[in-house]
Amino acid sequence: MSQSTVSCLPPKMSKAKKVLDEARETGECELDLVEKGLVSFEELPGLFNMSNITRLTLSHNKISLINPGIANLLNLEILNLSNNQLRELPVSLSSMPKLRILNVCINRLDNLPRGFGAFPVLEVLDLSYNNLNEQVLPGNFFGMETLRALYLGDNDFEYLPKEVGQLKNLQILGLRDNDLLELPREVGDLARLRELHIQNNRLQVLPPEVAQLDLLSNKSVMKMEENPWVNPIAEQYLLGISHVIEYLKTDTYKIIYNRHMQGGRSGPPPPKADKSKKASRVRA
Amino acid sequence: MMYSKAEVVQAINMSLGAMHCTRCADGFEPNEKIVNSNGELWHTQCFVCAQCFRPFQDGIFYEFEGRKYCERDFHVLFAPCCNKCGEFVIGRVIKAMSASWHPQCFRCQLCAKELADSGFIRNQNRALCHECNAKVKAEITGRYVCQKCHGLIDEEPLRFRGEVYHGYHFNCTACGTELDSTAREVKSRPGLAANDMNELYCLRCHDKMGIPICGACRRPIEERVVTALGKHWHVEHFVCAKCEKPFLGHRHYEKRGLAYCETHYHQLFGNLCFVCNQVIAGDVFTALNKAWCVHHFACSVCDTKMTQKSKFYEYDEKPVCKKCYDRFPNELRRRLRDAHENTMKKNV
Ligand SMILES: [Zn+2]
Ligand SMILES: [Zn+2]
Ligand SMILES: [Zn+2]
Ligand SMILES: [Zn+2]
Ligand SMILES: [Zn+2]
Ligand SMILES: [Zn+2]
Ligand SMILES: [Zn+2]
Ligand SMILES: [Zn+2]
Repeated sequence: MSQSTVSCLPPKMSKAKKVLDEARETGECELDLVEKGLVSFEELPGLFNMSNITRLTLSHNKISLINPGIANLLNLEILNLSNNQLRELPVSLSSMPKLRILNVCINRLDNLPRGFGAFPVLEVLDLSYNNLNEQVLPGNFFGMETLRALYLGDNDFEYLPKEVGQLKNLQILGLRDNDLLELPREVGDLARLRELHIQNNRLQVLPPEVAQLDLLSNKSVMKMEENPWVNPIAEQYLLGISHVIEYLKTDTYKIIYNRHMQGGRSGPPPPKADKSKKASRVRA
Repeated sequence: MMYSKAEVVQAINMSLGAMHCTRCADGFEPNEKIVNSNGELWHTQCFVCAQCFRPFQDGIFYEFEGRKYCERDFHVLFAPCCNKCGEFVIGRVIKAMSASWHPQCFRCQLCAKELADSGFIRNQNRALCHECNAKVKAEITGRYVCQKCHGLIDEEPLRFRGEVYHGYHFNCTACGTELDSTAREVKSRPGLAANDMNELYCLRCHDKMGIPICGACRRPIEERVVTALGKHWHVEHFVCAKCEKPFLGHRHYEKRGLAYCETHYHQLFGNLCFVCNQVIAGDVFTALNKAWCVHHFACSVCDTKMTQKSKFYEYDEKPVCKKCYDRFPNELRRRLRDAHENTMKKNV
């Protein structure tokens, strides 16, 4: 195993280092290091001393590990590592006092560190397109009360923990393209939710509590296509989301839902989608 | 007691035979000087002080029980001393509190108002005016004292021009009905401190006068009126429907018959920037059911700023620039494209 050190850097000053030097000179607080061919934070010398920066964007690089020293960036509000090769995240991230937006979509995360949910002010968390499931969520994951938006699309969830109902400020819940077999009734507790993306899962029923949510306003989004819905829901869906929501409120539906949850569903669970081609599956 | 001045006349053309001195009963000589005092006649040597037998200086004498005295003897024998200043009381004497007083010396012991003509009340050996006596009594019993009759008020008092009264002393300015404590005082010159022009109305007449009623507390508004949402409001009662803080002249936003402060209007009805979560003050970018401020409308993957004209792709209802979309894994792009086509088909 080789360890990269400063001496390994190419003699010519890298583009990334130039960006850092310029920022230090001008006092720029927002760092754009998109598609700079970066493999490691070692290629960004002195970055962790630039405590004034508020946004760090490292999208489209090949970074596989975040140096825990990143937590020295005490003023960082936005950290964007979209489309890298991250296998894990340092637990120190969760202690960053001003981090409001963390985007690690399109990476190779198989798990999250223990205590990950300790972020004091995190508002938007994009974990979409990774290899996460309910087994690897740390115990305090749903303790992130300040969360406005949680993107878990393109992962491997079969069930969503009922603790999701604790995210009192959640407005957006993205669960597109998972293996979900059911949603917990507690989704109905997310009083401020106005976007629910559950398209491309294995859902046959919805908890009647979903009808409590404000998913029909002109600012709301309910995406539920490509699920093996039970017939009555599929029929209402053809008429429109509002028909589905109205139907969920009926006593007839409550009976259907209860019977389904008590094991009345016929046959084996619907098959999972084939995800072998996902970029997140690549083993280095 | 009286103080008089006698007149001295010459007995010239009078029929002397019919006249006698009031003191000695003898007649008068022709051309003798005769004293005439209120029709009574005297020899000049008989018109003297009943005490010192000397003539009255300047004809001035004091009469008491039919006898006449000079000023000095009268004072010594009869005139009372004022209990306050110690001087003789000549003229009107006030006999009160077992003593004599000049009228201007007999005053309320609390407020020093003259009591000679208004009467007084003896309260714990003090002479008090009615008002002070009532106040002292009210302080002891804890009740209000009517500013009109000075009696204690047993029920709720009527408040008027800063004082309290029995309601029954007043009548409605409009209909004349006798009032009670529910009467409304109407400020004739709103906003001014002077209240001497205020008038009283019964509740019914007051309501008919069109004085604005607060949409929150339903009480009349006599100070500043806020008009909004088709109603009138007390300044302090016109509040945000969400946080219930009064706007106090700050901007408010109306929605479905309710008023909201800026923060809550945006929190409830949109226009918070998706990135900074702040109220958007200037231009608003709206797309994908969200809003962005000028600084934050950007590609969600590379954070590159976009303009109103920028073309973008949708990824989980977030904008993604073409450059980023092209760098998405092939299989993801394929699935996103298929999903997009399916929705288009469904919506046809
Ligand atoms: Zn006196
Ligand atoms: Zn007095
Ligand atoms: Zn009275
Ligand atoms: Zn009246
Ligand atoms: Zn009011
Ligand atoms: Zn408010
Ligand atoms: Zn913003
Ligand atoms: Zn982009």
